[in-house]
Amino acid sequence: MIAGPPPGRSDRMPPDADVIVIGAGPAGMSAAVELAAAGRSVIVLDMNAGPGGQVFRGLGENLAARPATDALLAALGPAYRAGERLVHAFVTAAGIDYRPSTTVWDLRSDGTVGWLRGADAGYIRGRQVLLATGAMERPVPFPGWTLPGVMTAGAVQTLIKAGRLQPEGRIVLAGTGPLILLLADQLRRLGVRPCLIARTDRLRDKVAALPRLRPRGLPALIKGLGWIARLRLAGIPVITGVTDLRAVGQDRVERISLRAGRRRIDLPCDLLIVHDGIVPATDLAHAAGIELAWAKAEAGWLPVTLTDGLAQAAPGPALTSGPCRIFISGDGRRIGGAEAAVAHGRMAAQAILSALRGGGAATGARLTFAEVRHSLVPRPFLDRAFPLGLAAGVPCDSTLVCRCEEITAGAIRAEIRKGARDINLLRATLRCGMGPCQGRNCATTVARLLAEAHPAATPAPFRARPPARPLPLGALARLTGADRALAEIVSLQDKPVMMPRAAEDTPDAQPRA
Amino acid sequence: MFRPIGPSAPTLLLYLDGERIAAHPHESVAACLLRHGVRAIRATPVTGSPRLPYCMIGHCFDCLVEIDGHGSVQACLAPVRDGMRVFARSGMDKGSAR
Repeated sequence: MIAGPPPGRSDRMPPDADVIVIGAGPAGMSAAVELAAAGRSVIVLDMNAGPGGQVFRGLGENLAARPATDALLAALGPAYRAGERLVHAFVTAAGIDYRPSTTVWDLRSDGTVGWLRGADAGYIRGRQVLLATGAMERPVPFPGWTLPGVMTAGAVQTLIKAGRLQPEGRIVLAGTGPLILLLADQLRRLGVRPCLIARTDRLRDKVAALPRLRPRGLPALIKGLGWIARLRLAGIPVITGVTDLRAVGQDRVERISLRAGRRRIDLPCDLLIVHDGIVPATDLAHAAGIELAWAKAEAGWLPVTLTDGLAQAAPGPALTSGPCRIFISGDGRRIGGAEAAVAHGRMAAQAILSALRGGGAATGARLTFAEVRHSLVPRPFLDRAFPLGLAAGVPCDSTLVCRCEEITAGAIRAEIRKGARDINLLRATLRCGMGPCQGRNCATTVARLLAEAHPAATPAPFRARPPARPLPLGALARLTGADRALAEIVSLQDKPVMMPRAAEDTPDAQPRA
Repeated sequence: MFRPIGPSAPTLLLYLDGERIAAHPHESVAACLLRHGVRAIRATPVTGSPRLPYCMIGHCFDCLVEIDGHGSVQACLAPVRDGMRVFARSGMDKGSAR
């Protein structure tokens, strides 16, 4: 046992690249292209089989497979095709070492990255690391959400883009946010007619959001109104102000039940598609000891970074010492969509180039900063127009919170009543968050159940430990690139206990003097 | 629950619990199984409840299968390969024994 981290970054292990980019969505691709164009060596690790992230998933393959994919491309519309130039620039750029189907299970603030591809795993090091792992859909526990036949809107979009599949049968879409309307419009173009689109947002949310509307947000508003108008024209029922959603069935969803005003609606259903907005995927930032802030309005955590993406290490003991070499960009930093992610990816790349030169003003940074600000202008309106819906409240006692270990909100509340105040204690006593997803789906809900009983405390996530994703023992045994000094750190004090602060309206950290 | 958009001419074969099923080169294992109308991709180890993929982007871990002898592989992230052998896990009784 060694107490405390080694005195500095080990010099015995030379860096494998100037920059390691994690994720090949809009932010990761845009940053990698910018970095490679500046002559820097870049390794891009991507969990997916091809570049594009979620929004441009399968774009290159689908374009190459025309005319068989014509109907698919027509249904996905111009927002999907908009990624063509970026994907092309990324796959043709010299100096980008792209490694698909590679998961990252460890990240350290000194630029060390643990990777897994098939049965092989190892550590590599970058002089700087860009974390561009995007967002995940906000977890929405409700009764029956684990039944086969309940899926997220993002899952269905993935099946359309990469599986070239469309849903069939009795389909209900429930939730809120631009994505659910976009998906409904794409389904309409594919000739799929959902039985019902049950929105949790209301007209009064739109009215309340209007003062936040800026001229640059108008195209988004017009696009959204167009989706709704076309759904109405197609005769697809849309209701708003929905609450109390339940999926009911024996071995799969058979019907859904929800409340709309004073009415209770019960419908037979084969596929329930849910969506309640997206939140940054903070798993790797958290694992690296980056400070997280709790954003109450988002019911989730945000990584604390400077505006250019430089991540801020959480106060307290750390696994590695020295300056933090991690930048975070795209939706993994702040939800802004593809356009904002592309702009911020370039901005982060400029900041990384500056850091690689040993500091000083980033060239072109002022321009990209303006682009980032412009691209985020519609967000305050969208956030107010589509407030938390399915995840607005904490679930009832019978709802499963932890999908993996099948633990209900009632069981968690019982432990809290017995005196549990710490999320890690709940994990230890209930196994909540100990399953294969490692708390990705339950952490925010467990934290909010604690906050329900102890409103003064800021919700904290489970303590993170590597591996952040499953790592086969065989791969661990043959690990390449391990640094002996790092391998020796085995102590219970090796990770900070994350004590997030509450996020302000603009939670970007200020540069430290 | 899902059917192909446009023409569909699978060129690969894989084995699901020993049975041959056709696959497209662009598919993930999870998409392939959903296209074939599989009713459950696994049963949970705690109560044996059936599950199908939920998020399809690697976050929910509800699509864990065994592929070519490797257990607990996320089917949504695994591209299909010709001759691939997929076992849908069935919770504690079968899953832990394999």
